[in-house]
Amino acid sequence: MRRSYRTSVAQPGVESDLFGSSAASRAVAPAAPGSTPETAIPVASITETARAVIEGSFSPLWVRGEVSDFKRHRNGHWYFCLRDASAQVRCVVWSRSQRGIPTSPDEGMEVTAYGQLTVYAARGEMHLNVTAMDAVGDGLWRKAMDETRLRLDRDGLLAAARKRALPYAPMRVGMVTSPDGAALRDVIAVIRRRAPHVSLVVSAATVQGVNAPAEIVAAIQRICRFGEIDVLIVGRGGGGREDLWAFNDEAVARAIADATVPVITGVGHEIDITIADLVADHRAATPSAAAEAAVPVRADLLAALRGLGDELSSSLTDLAARARSRLEEGATSLKRAAAIDAERRRAAIAATAGRLNALSPLATLARGYAVARASDTRRTLSSIKDFNADDLFTLTVRDGEIVARVTETA
Amino acid sequence: MSYEKRVARLQDIVAELEGDGVPLDDALRLFEEGIEILRLASDELTTAEGRVELLIERVEGVFETRAIDD
Repeated sequence: MRRSYRTSVAQPGVESDLFGSSAASRAVAPAAPGSTPETAIPVASITETARAVIEGSFSPLWVRGEVSDFKRHRNGHWYFCLRDASAQVRCVVWSRSQRGIPTSPDEGMEVTAYGQLTVYAARGEMHLNVTAMDAVGDGLWRKAMDETRLRLDRDGLLAAARKRALPYAPMRVGMVTSPDGAALRDVIAVIRRRAPHVSLVVSAATVQGVNAPAEIVAAIQRICRFGEIDVLIVGRGGGGREDLWAFNDEAVARAIADATVPVITGVGHEIDITIADLVADHRAATPSAAAEAAVPVRADLLAALRGLGDELSSSLTDLAARARSRLEEGATSLKRAAAIDAERRRAAIAATAGRLNALSPLATLARGYAVARASDTRRTLSSIKDFNADDLFTLTVRDGEIVARVTETA
Repeated sequence: MSYEKRVARLQDIVAELEGDGVPLDDALRLFEEGIEILRLASDELTTAEGRVELLIERVEGVFETRAIDD
């Protein structure tokens, strides 16, 4: 707002008379402040007046020039000059004003700075109190993104190997976004259509403005602490570059990287690629596309389940068939083994019988020998001592026995 | 057991049954487990009704969810 201003230094309508030619006028109108050595005004007055004049005369405005003598003070404020071929103006960016500026400008960078022209009393200098700034061709935004990307890359957060696979069939999807935004409505519609069995849990955050990065970080951390989600969508609908800027914030990127579940980003439109997209496990072009990536179609899941059921049935059938054929094989080989065994036994018996036959005393008898045995005890009588005169004994020959009597002993 | 864990277990069971060396008793037990998992997973898909909820953290670590009207 332009301030109304009335000078306290010059007094239009009152003619000053340095030579004091009119005694009468000196008597009624004392000398204007600053018009004589006696009425000299203090320095603070003139700087304060100059400040009031300048601030009253200039609304905040955009100024174009080249950055030089850029200094970042310990207290966080930025100081630099904006200059062109013939002039320069001092600029200051208070640290609290820097939130609206992507990053600090480079030396020699052609920028446009928006601010209030004012006077800094302590130095008696005119300066531009800058609250917004950009370089020609989005230079500052690009520079800020490049710087953030470099820092994240240095920490390995952009590595492809970090990217986690999305769950095959999430039952609960988390989303960090504005509860009033178009993005949420789009995501709800997609989930209802594709996977009506899936629940959505919203962790609310403002998604644009200076508070957006901190709120998005807090919302991501909150839903990760909650924990009962399988995958997280972070996003918002389309908007201008400044509207999407929170998703280029380094803290947001780091919160996404630290999330306990895989993260899908869906920010703005097809062409918008943000830092958050680079860190996410999966980048979708829009919130709707993010929802499609998050949830599979229920009919497909059911079909896959039926397929598994078929596999289960056939695996058991196959197993039973294999077991039966093994059993049959076993029976056949058992029979074969048994037959071989019987034949072997038969042969062995025959051989034994042959040997037995050879050893049999009957064979000896067949050759003409006879065996004498006591008639009563059937003891074999093999010595003359076994015989006494008139003893009866049995004599076994090849084809029978005869009873004999001892007539004479030696 | 989550849906995904159920499906993974089902796949394990099928793989085990397709391999050799499962005694018939074990195979029947696995098959019955598989059929039960199949039933539960299928029920989960067909009977669950997705909700839309807003997450609220009362104090650090204490959560509640409130249905969002859409």
